[in-house]
Amino acid sequence: MNILKQELRMGRKSLIIWCLSLAGILMLFMLLYPSISSQLEDFQKVFKSFPIEFQQALGVVNLQLDSILSYYQFPFTYILLAGAVQAMNMGVAVISSEVREKTGDFLFVKPVTRNRIVSMKILAVLVQILITNAFVFATALILVTILSTKPYNVGLFVLITCSLLFIQIFFASLGLFISAFLRRIRTVLPISMGVVFIFYIIFLLNETLKDEKLGLISPFGYFDLSELSKTMNYDSLYLLLWFVLVGLFVFLTFRLFARKDLPSI
Amino acid sequence: MNVIEINQLTKYYGKHRGIENVSFSVEEGEIFGFIGPNGSGKSTTIRALLSLIHPTSGSATIWGRDCIKYGSELRRDIGYLPSEVFYYEHMKVIEVLNYSASFYDNVDYTRIQTLADVMDLDLNKRIDDLSYGNKKKVGIVQGLLHEPKLIILDEPTGGLDPLMQQKFFDLIRTENKKGATVLFSSHILSEVQKLCGRVAIIKDGTIVKIENIRDMQKHNYKKFTLEYKGLIDVHHFNLEGITNLTLNENTLHFLFKGDINRIVARLQDQALLNLLVEEPSLEEIFMHYYQKED
Repeated sequence: MNILKQELRMGRKSLIIWCLSLAGILMLFMLLYPSISSQLEDFQKVFKSFPIEFQQALGVVNLQLDSILSYYQFPFTYILLAGAVQAMNMGVAVISSEVREKTGDFLFVKPVTRNRIVSMKILAVLVQILITNAFVFATALILVTILSTKPYNVGLFVLITCSLLFIQIFFASLGLFISAFLRRIRTVLPISMGVVFIFYIIFLLNETLKDEKLGLISPFGYFDLSELSKTMNYDSLYLLLWFVLVGLFVFLTFRLFARKDLPSI
Repeated sequence: MNVIEINQLTKYYGKHRGIENVSFSVEEGEIFGFIGPNGSGKSTTIRALLSLIHPTSGSATIWGRDCIKYGSELRRDIGYLPSEVFYYEHMKVIEVLNYSASFYDNVDYTRIQTLADVMDLDLNKRIDDLSYGNKKKVGIVQGLLHEPKLIILDEPTGGLDPLMQQKFFDLIRTENKKGATVLFSSHILSEVQKLCGRVAIIKDGTIVKIENIRDMQKHNYKKFTLEYKGLIDVHHFNLEGITNLTLNENTLHFLFKGDINRIVARLQDQALLNLLVEEPSLEEIFMHYYQKED
C-alpha cells in the first residue's frame, strides 16, 4: 500500500489541475446553453447550412438543441478528448517515470516483486481516474440540473457521462502497454496527445465514412455519444471489444515489464 | 559460507557486451572489493545481482538462492548504494527515508536519525535542494537504515569530501563488524586497498584476477617521474623492480616495485629539477597484469 500512497501523493497536483480544467470546460460550454436555447432556430439553421460531411464530423447531424442532453453531448465530446489525454498521460508516465527520473534504482531494489509494483501503480492510475470521473459526474449533474428547464432523461445522462470512465480506462491501459513496450520514454505528452488525436481523427473520419471495420479501431467510436441517445445503451460488441483490449494491454504490461532490463543511469 | 556466488555470468545488451563469463564468490563477513575502470562491467554485474537486469546466461546466487527468482525476498536483507543517486525531487529527505523504510519489516526508525547525525545530513531539506554530495548521504542512510546483512556499494565515494568518506568507511566497517558482508565496487585502487580483504579485478567485461589485498600490496607499485637538468644516464636506473621505463627529452618515467630505499639511494647526487612519486593509475596496474599473462 505504501507504493499506492506514494503514487497518489505524487499525482495529487496534476490530478487537481486536470479535474478543475475538465470541470471548467464543461461549465463554460454549459453556461452558454441558456442563450443558445433562446436562439434555437438560428443555430439550427446555421448547422443545417453546413455540408452534410461537415455536420457528421462535428456530430451535429441529429442535433436537437431543444433538449439539454443533446446539447450536453457536444461539450462532452471535448471532455472525452481531454480526459483521454489525461488518462493516457498517467498510463504512460506511471511506470516510465521511474526510469526517466532515474528513481528506478531506488524502487526496484526494494523487497517487492515487479508485479507488485506494476499492480500498485495500475491501481493508483485507476483511483485517479475514478476520482476524475466522480468530480466530472458531480459537476455535470449540477450543471444539467440547474440549467434544464424541462425534466431530462437521467439514464441517458448517466450513459453519456460514464463513457468518460470507459474511454479513460482504455487510454490508460494503452499508455501502460506503450510504456512497457518502449525501452525509454523521454517525454510523455507528445506520445499521449499524438495517440489520442490519431484515434479521434479516425473516429471523425468514420463519422462520414461509416465503415464498420474502421469503427473497430477507434475507442471513441465505441462510445459514440450521438448513437447513445438513439439506442439508449452501449453497443455490446464494442463493450466486449473494449474489455478484451483493456485486458490484453494490462496483461502485456505485466508480461513485458517483468522481463525488462532497467537501463543503468 | 559464500554469500554471493556468481557463476559464468554473461550479459549482452543486444550485440553490445556487458559482461562475459564473470565468476567469483564473496564469503560471509568479508569486505570484497570489485575494481575496474569505467565501463568494465562492475555495474552490470551488480545490477544483475539486484535483478535490475536479466543475465543472458550464467547464474548468480545470494545465500544460495537464485537472484532473479527469489529477488524480492533476497532484497529484504540487501542494502544498495548506487554510484549516482536520484530520488523523488519534490519530497523531503525524511519523507524519502520513511518511504524507503516502509518497504522493510521491523525497521528501527530512530536509526534514520542516528545515521543522519553521523553523516551530517539535514532531514528537513527537499531533495531538489540538495547538492550531489548530500544526495549521496541520503543514499547511504537509505542503503543502511534496515540493517542489511549484505551491503552492495557501487562506486559509493563520488561526491563525498575526504572527511565524509572517512565517516562513511567507518560506518561500513562498523556494519561489517556486526556481521554484514560487503561488496564494494570502485575504480580507485587506494580506497579498495584501505577497506577490502579480497578484490576481483574486472576489465572489458571479464574478471582478470581475484587477489588478496595483502598479496597485492607486496607488489606495491610506485610511479616515478624524474625531471633532469641535463643529460640522463638511463643505465643509472638499471635496477631490479623497475618496469615501463620511458625517456622523454629530459624526463624519465618508470614504475617501481620493491624497497623504496633502493631508489632513494640512487637519487642521491642527481641533478634533479623535479621529482614525483605517485600511485600508479589502475590502467597502469592492469597493464602489469596483462604483461604478466603474455
